[in-house]
Amino acid sequence: MVAVRVLGVLGVLWVLSMVVFAMMYLAPGDLVKNLLGNRPSTPEAIAAVREQYRLDDSVVEQYLHWLGGVLTGDLGQSIRLQVPVIDAIGDRLPLTAALSALAFLIAVAVAVPLGVRSAVKAGGWLDRIGGALAVLGLSAPTFAVGLVLLYLFAYYVPIFPIYGGGDGGLDTLRHLVLPAVTLALGLGAIIVKLTRTAMLRELESDYVTFARARGLSPRVVNRLALRNAAIPIVTGASLVLTFLVGGTVLAETTFALPGLGTLLQDSVLFKDLPVVQSLTLFVAAVIAVIALLADVAYLLLDPRVRRQMGAAS
Amino acid sequence: MTQPLGASSLTTSPQPPALRGPSARRPRRRRPVLVALALLVLGIAFGAAAFGSLIFPDAMTQDILASQLPPGSPGHPLGTDELGRDVLQMSVAGARSALLGPVIVALGSMACGVVLGTLAGYQRGWIDFAVSRWTDLLLALPVLLAAIVVSGVFGGGYWVTVVLLIVLFSPSDIRIVRAGVLEQSARPYIEAAQMLSLSRWRVMFRHILPNVTSLVVTNAMLNVAFALVAFSSLSFLGVGVSPGIADWGRQLTDGRAIMFVNPAAVFMPALLIVVVAVAANLVGDWIGQRLSRVGEDVR
Amino acid sequence: MTVRISELSVVGPAGVMVEPLSATVEPGATLALIGESGSGKTLTAKSLVGLLPRGFTATGAAEVGGVALPLAGGESAWRAIRGRTASLLLQDPFTSLSPVHRCGDQIAWTVEAATGSRLARSERDAVVEARLAEVKLPARAARAYPHQLSGGMRQRVAIAAALASDPQLLIADEPTTALDASNQAEILDLLRAVQVERRLSVILISHDLGVVRGRTDQVLVMREGHVVERGETASVLAAPSHPYTGALIEADPVVAAQSGTRLSPAQPVEGELVVRVMGLEKSFGTHRVLDDVSLDVSRGEILGIVGESGSGKSTLARCVAGLEHEDGGTISIDGVALAPGRASRTPDQMQIVFQDPYSSLNPMMSVGAILAEALRVAGRDASEVDGLLETVGLPAQFVRKRPAQLSGGQRQRVAIARALAPRPRLLICDESVSALDVSVQADILRLLAGLRDELGIAVMFISHDLAVVRMIADSVVVMWNGRVVERGECRDVLTAPTHEYTRLLVAAALRENTAPQIGRE
Repeated sequence: MVAVRVLGVLGVLWVLSMVVFAMMYLAPGDLVKNLLGNRPSTPEAIAAVREQYRLDDSVVEQYLHWLGGVLTGDLGQSIRLQVPVIDAIGDRLPLTAALSALAFLIAVAVAVPLGVRSAVKAGGWLDRIGGALAVLGLSAPTFAVGLVLLYLFAYYVPIFPIYGGGDGGLDTLRHLVLPAVTLALGLGAIIVKLTRTAMLRELESDYVTFARARGLSPRVVNRLALRNAAIPIVTGASLVLTFLVGGTVLAETTFALPGLGTLLQDSVLFKDLPVVQSLTLFVAAVIAVIALLADVAYLLLDPRVRRQMGAAS
Repeated sequence: MTQPLGASSLTTSPQPPALRGPSARRPRRRRPVLVALALLVLGIAFGAAAFGSLIFPDAMTQDILASQLPPGSPGHPLGTDELGRDVLQMSVAGARSALLGPVIVALGSMACGVVLGTLAGYQRGWIDFAVSRWTDLLLALPVLLAAIVVSGVFGGGYWVTVVLLIVLFSPSDIRIVRAGVLEQSARPYIEAAQMLSLSRWRVMFRHILPNVTSLVVTNAMLNVAFALVAFSSLSFLGVGVSPGIADWGRQLTDGRAIMFVNPAAVFMPALLIVVVAVAANLVGDWIGQRLSRVGEDVR
Repeated sequence: MTVRISELSVVGPAGVMVEPLSATVEPGATLALIGESGSGKTLTAKSLVGLLPRGFTATGAAEVGGVALPLAGGESAWRAIRGRTASLLLQDPFTSLSPVHRCGDQIAWTVEAATGSRLARSERDAVVEARLAEVKLPARAARAYPHQLSGGMRQRVAIAAALASDPQLLIADEPTTALDASNQAEILDLLRAVQVERRLSVILISHDLGVVRGRTDQVLVMREGHVVERGETASVLAAPSHPYTGALIEADPVVAAQSGTRLSPAQPVEGELVVRVMGLEKSFGTHRVLDDVSLDVSRGEILGIVGESGSGKSTLARCVAGLEHEDGGTISIDGVALAPGRASRTPDQMQIVFQDPYSSLNPMMSVGAILAEALRVAGRDASEVDGLLETVGLPAQFVRKRPAQLSGGQRQRVAIARALAPRPRLLICDESVSALDVSVQADILRLLAGLRDELGIAVMFISHDLAVVRMIADSVVVMWNGRVVERGECRDVLTAPTHEYTRLLVAAALRENTAPQIGRE
């Protein structure tokens, strides 16, 4: 079953790679001019570009050449930055990874307990606050939240820096607090909703009634329900991922962080195709791998599925 | 037979409703006041979208004062924007562009979902396979990323963005309808319909579809909220709505430059987006609960 | 350690659900609470462990061995009681254990909750093993997840878990209803044996008089929140004083099986042949569900098809109906062979009535619309809806109602009316009465028998319970693992079963235990 999923993921990535490659041809304007960017279009430069992208070969050969490059880490040259795309991405990756991880940690640390408490005391004041926060988090665009936080905590009460990624270490962490909180609000809203729904369903099930009837303490009962609820919560991870990718772009733009999100935005606006292609493929691959991990976690969490696996293999 | 078939002294009345399932999953109950408020907000917002141009016909063509006034300035309760236009007038005028797109996106994606989801869920076979692979592929792409890349690279503008968002939103609708149809198809009442040799179209659209309506309508309302957020996010990133159109997302982007001079230029459109999105979310949940209660199965 | 309940009453949002009720249960004795759905028996049980649904409150007093139960108390007051004083065993062993935890852990939690301390690993294994041994399960069951065990074994684990805190009162809410017939008596007798061993007071809640007979000391018969009759079990069942109890006993298939009475006299099979099934084969993957199944049904005949879950009886019905495609063999109606699937069949050949009355009617359509549609496919006019309703004993004003407004029995009548609308030659009843209360079940059975007499329709009546089948069937086919293991006249099969499996089913129908007796009596 895992093998089938891996094959499926590879299939999706392969189709995407073709779509992404086709982007070069589908983009409006002259292909060579697009690839030259704002370099002077001298005959030598044109020849160099034609040579580099093998524009004189057939489309299939061009695609295979490009794909070969992608698989060996040669993603081409950024038109805008005039550096290899892999370096451009490598420079920006750590900041984005740190931002996503921080936001994810904040969201999980707050949202899972909040979702559990909301379900256990459904209708209580905490549930109402959690519910209101969840609706707000789902409805408020990330950048709007970001701008509010920016105005409040960087301008009105200047605790945090207004923009930039900082000089590394603790300074970077300080620069990441506001963007991470911004992202965490949206993420947390999704996780609260998932957790609350899953917990409510489990708390109403027979095995919880039976556990209570046997005198098990509320702590044990809730742990038992959460363990069962973990299955649907983990399955909902794809929602979280999708949000995280879009949200990172917005949060980085709002706070002018030099991460992958701003790289993508700048490259899109500049029509820096090699970077856009590589980033799209990279993000799709990361999402696919994480979704795959979520599926594997699902297998580990549910003994019923595990057994079917054992029988199948 | 001396007595009507099967009637006996024991025939019991329907079960008392109180016994019927306090265990049934109880969704959070929205307070009616809150729902009324949300409906009012949506009413005003869509009223502004429809008639805003009558109230402030020259919002976009005001004399450019070239001065950026803070909120509370005489004649300009919310101040003026970076080009010296009145923020209040701009906010009313911006409703149409901000709301029209999301509504069309929600309706278009709902139509795709109903048609493809029903076909895939009931017919199964190759059509299900094709539709499912298509949704798998699209769901692997984050909506915002795909929208940025496509409308950024290919240029676009408003209507291209609308079509793009329909395509990107439809997989979730298709999946929801398909799952609902699959669940309903397994129920005995569908097999009973098959026992009457009804045509598959009648089974699909007369029997199954009414039972998944609550899912579809709820999701469409939620999609309005998500599309509103997506549109403004795209404007914020500089793709989507082109400059020169009154639009909340656009106002936000442009207003950022003077955020510290007139915060209302940014926060007024942001507030409008959030309030309308919250209202759409609340109304969506409420409609879903009401519709699912119509034919509520007791168990 | 006597249990005393005095003036216990339950009030819900819709009014009083259980009228004041008093009872005493001696140590080692069993009190049976009998009633149909809506009688308040389950609310009574839940009020004794403080697990009433939100919006319900209990008043009155109850004590177990001198310890007063905090009937109106909060969660914290109940926590000291639950488990140690009173414990509740639920109906469905498939849902009452957590699916992602090992059985041994679930038993150990109860022990830890009762002693208030965590067990060391070795100690824990020993304790769990002893608890499993008490319910006659091997020690290795501790390592299993619930889904790896059969329904009967799961209920044993649940019993071990419920008793692991050594309560003085065990409330068992329909403990065998979800089990196959052959497991029911076994579980009940196990409960009885454990109870005698521990001098445990038991309150057994059931809708099934066969379960109560011989296994309980006292009985309370409840109806719509009232106790209508009480007394020694044996004397109440032998000579009921309240007409409701009498009617209940009369309607009960097990009692009927024990006494040999029927709802409709068996008729000799002499009508023309309607359906002939020859050598039917069907597999799901590598699993063979139907293996060379042959049978005939004639006009005016009710053929009972009996077997437990997994015997292939439902698949057989679905193949005949065309809802499932058979792999081999032939199905013919009036001598004409039918190709597999619905496409070769017409609505007037056969119709089916399903088990679950709650999902077999489209919830978004009115009763009138449902029936009019069924009439239309047979070319009949929608004005015949009233007549159709009358045939199944429902008043004409039901036309405007939606399924959600009807009771289970009424829904099943609508489903039968829909099936009759195209005037089918064969009516297939797939567990059509299994989800209903006994009294409603008797009504529906009487209706079916009457329809056979009036319309001369052929009926395939499928059930897991031989006791129900023998109330109306003329002849019986017994299925086991996809094969027909026994067939014949209903009376002969019951009195002189030849196959060992049939003997098991007959014993189950009479709620007798086929396993060696344990405990007293």
